[in-house]
Amino acid sequence: MYRLRILLLRLSNVFRKQHLEQDLNSELQTHLDLVADENIRRGMSPVEARHAARREFGGVEQTKELYRDRRGLTWIDSGREDVRLALRMLFKRPGFTFVAVATLALGIGANTAIFTVVHSVLLEQLPFPEAHRLAIVWSIYGHEGRAPASGPELMTIRERSRLFEDLGGIWAQSCALTGQGEPEQIKLGMVTANFLGILGTHPQLGRWFTPGDEGPGSPFVAIISDGLWRRRYGADPHMAGRAVRLNGQPTTILGVMPPGFKIIFPEGSSVPPEMDAFVPFRSSLASDPPDQSYLRVIGRLRDGASIPLAQQEIEMIAAHLRSKFTAFAEPPLNLQVVPLQGDLVRNIRPALLALFGGAGLVLLIACTNVANLLLSRAHERTREITLRIAVGAGRGRLIRQLLTESVLLFCCGAVAAISFGWGALYLLLAMQPKEMERLSAIRMDAPVFAFTFAIAIGGGLLCGLVPALGAHRIDLARSLKEARQTGHPASRRHRHVLVTAEVALGFILLVGAGLLLETFAKLMQVNPGFVPENVLTFRVSVPWEKFNNTASAVQFLRALKANLAGLPGVEAAGITSHLPFEDTLPNWYSYFWPAGAPKDQQNTIMADYRAILPGFFKSMGVTFLAGRDFDEHDVEQNLHLAIIDDTVAEQSWPGQQAVGKVLNVENGTRDTVRDNVQVIGVVKHLQYHTLTDQVRGQIYLLYPLAMRTHMAFTLKSNLGARQLLPLIRREVSSLDKDLPIYHLEFMTEYVESARRQARFVTLLAGLMAGIALLLASTGIYAVTRYSVVQRTSELGIRTALGAQAAQLFGLVVRQSMLPVALGVAIGVVLSLLLTPLLSTLLFGVRPADAPTYVAGALLLSASALIASFLPARRTMRVDPLVALRYE
Amino acid sequence: MAPPRGEVLQGTLDLIVLQTLEVMGPLHGYGIAQRVQQVSRDLLKLNQGTLYPALLRLEQRGWICSKWGASENNRKAKYYSLTRAGQKQLLRETESWERMTALMARLLGGTEGA
Repeated sequence: MYRLRILLLRLSNVFRKQHLEQDLNSELQTHLDLVADENIRRGMSPVEARHAARREFGGVEQTKELYRDRRGLTWIDSGREDVRLALRMLFKRPGFTFVAVATLALGIGANTAIFTVVHSVLLEQLPFPEAHRLAIVWSIYGHEGRAPASGPELMTIRERSRLFEDLGGIWAQSCALTGQGEPEQIKLGMVTANFLGILGTHPQLGRWFTPGDEGPGSPFVAIISDGLWRRRYGADPHMAGRAVRLNGQPTTILGVMPPGFKIIFPEGSSVPPEMDAFVPFRSSLASDPPDQSYLRVIGRLRDGASIPLAQQEIEMIAAHLRSKFTAFAEPPLNLQVVPLQGDLVRNIRPALLALFGGAGLVLLIACTNVANLLLSRAHERTREITLRIAVGAGRGRLIRQLLTESVLLFCCGAVAAISFGWGALYLLLAMQPKEMERLSAIRMDAPVFAFTFAIAIGGGLLCGLVPALGAHRIDLARSLKEARQTGHPASRRHRHVLVTAEVALGFILLVGAGLLLETFAKLMQVNPGFVPENVLTFRVSVPWEKFNNTASAVQFLRALKANLAGLPGVEAAGITSHLPFEDTLPNWYSYFWPAGAPKDQQNTIMADYRAILPGFFKSMGVTFLAGRDFDEHDVEQNLHLAIIDDTVAEQSWPGQQAVGKVLNVENGTRDTVRDNVQVIGVVKHLQYHTLTDQVRGQIYLLYPLAMRTHMAFTLKSNLGARQLLPLIRREVSSLDKDLPIYHLEFMTEYVESARRQARFVTLLAGLMAGIALLLASTGIYAVTRYSVVQRTSELGIRTALGAQAAQLFGLVVRQSMLPVALGVAIGVVLSLLLTPLLSTLLFGVRPADAPTYVAGALLLSASALIASFLPARRTMRVDPLVALRYE
Repeated sequence: MAPPRGEVLQGTLDLIVLQTLEVMGPLHGYGIAQRVQQVSRDLLKLNQGTLYPALLRLEQRGWICSKWGASENNRKAKYYSLTRAGQKQLLRETESWERMTALMARLLGGTEGA
């Protein structure tokens, strides 16, 4: 009823403060004067009369304070006051403020930087309209991993699904772009006509494909990327309708994609994010052989359809496919629907979350340090606080004052943290793993700032609470009487608890970082099965349109290889369809079985297969375990031979000699016979996909048995790229001046890219552990120093009574190391509980790795010891006379 | 903080102030305090300081209003007087107070009788 009126009244009073204050003063003064007048009339002296008046009145200042509380809106009013006072406090103690703000800048800044990445990578939507409705459909055969789909699969799903609005497929290819200018190898996306509509993007120029552009007999049309349009065609506004040559075929350009368009598919799906051009499928997908799997399927769910519902539906469709096509019956085909966003970050998520957790620990340690600083300071200010209570400050108001100081300190920390986080972010981006590159720009924006200040305010309240609660318990009479507090046992206990906490937290970080470091060291030692040093690689396209029969393509490749191998400084030259760790091009893998295996054992195991020409193993330094390498004679005779790795040998003929045996390899996408290839050699397994996992075994076939339109050359040479490149160009153009070479890269760079995520995580974790160690050490230093200063007189008495300096030194160090030991013990327990969360990031080291724990404990204890030694040395210099006068 | 000399219930203090102003007409803070002590014959020890926040509260509710004026000794003082809303409030409070005291009397008298 009166509430609103009173609220408005109080709000208006906030702005008339000075006037009202005068009013109040004169009103109370009148009261006192009137009482004094009365007293004088009764015969008191004027001075006596005034004292009596005050006594009778009670506390004048307390009354004013109560009155003010009721008059204005206290929180606005006193908030303003509190901030002013807090700022003055911070400026008055620049040393304290600097240490606290620097500590917070590190602690909060680490969180700001990591949160920026987490926010952009894990939380932000993909740059497509209603991206949460986009999902990928994977095929899974038996117990194998995710596979692409075949034409009939896609068409059946599209036809039968009610929950998907539409589904489309893409197959990444590479093709030669000729015509005007230098020949160029470009990334080509073969797509279903509806593909772009599903993503919800529109061309910036011209039009997207319509169903009429798709299928047999349709015209040759393409849509190019913004990048290609600008780079090669000078952003020609009349691009739509122009003709270019793709793999020698005249093709009409229909449109240009918008700038910055990326197809964001998960890593390992062999769809590179930046495509130069798109063309529609010219074959009828529905009548494709059902076992030719090459389509990466993406679909847009209907509004309101959930992933679990879509999964239920797709399982029914999979059952239908299994009964309709024998190819899908054994091993049984299953389909899996995964959200595009979730799938994209599948690999990086555990690493980012672990780093986020680590940053949280760093923040806690920083908070502990600041809480400790605030506690020491509150302790020094006991007299000030006591006085303020005595002259009428409410305890609530005091607590608010202390909290304001702490929050303000944290906000200064947050501002510093944002600048520090900015720098840290640059560091992060400079070495970001490729999983992060696929996503849109990582930047600091409003949510990041909001997050930073939210943790600053939260931390400020929490840390301010520690000394504020202490202020609550101040015993007025005692505090006023005591000239100086001597190390109050309760506050010493508080500080020891803080030290224990930060040591425990620091230990967790040290162990986590240690485990990751161990992992990285193990990764550096991994033998990938080949020698990447001094191997230069590049790709050359062998388009069917140009080399219209097998013999001419083989002849071209052999001639080029022979010419390159003959260059001075080149030790060996080889050719392969696939390079290790080159994950932007589709992988080849299929079922294999030993010849004569019973029918039910034929489609059970898959292997990667690669097409090579003699010289590949030599140039890559691959170890032969048995048998021999291919030679030129094998190629000339077009023999059906294979070289397998130890994995396939063990899977096919366990415990037996594999050389001389016959293998059947299921047919892939080309009509070449691969039945009954004879094994002539066994090599050591090559790590093709990751450094750590053996994904599948490997089968190497001669190029004519498994042709690819683009092949990679491997040149072992101690010459640099700059010397080699002109020679390579000369050799290629001497054979065919229209063929582009591309993907020029040293093998070591591929290997390095496979280590990038581990390097990234390890470096960051190491950085955090370093910060933690620094903060924990400064914390211990501060606590020890403070307790030594506080106990100067006690130590002086002990000296006077005959204690040796060394004994006192030992006493101080022992007392400050006790909470450290306790912290390490708690840290061990917590680490044992927490490190299993890291296990997906670890390789070659168990989460409970004893040496790492011991090293962490030693490192932490050593730093703690040094941190307590320095202030403890003061005890050696204590002069009992000075110390006793210290009061 | 000095201990209060005599606890006065907040609601009671409101009633006392309103009644005082009703009977005496406009008064300043000290006048109210004097009158309260005089009427209660020092049975009720009012901490004079607590009077002012109470006056502010009553004024904020619109039951009393204040005006600066000159006191008997020619000092500048703030005079409080009852408003129309204050008179109504006084009636309401008096009634409820009487009900309360009657109830308490019955209750305590009954206990005594039994």
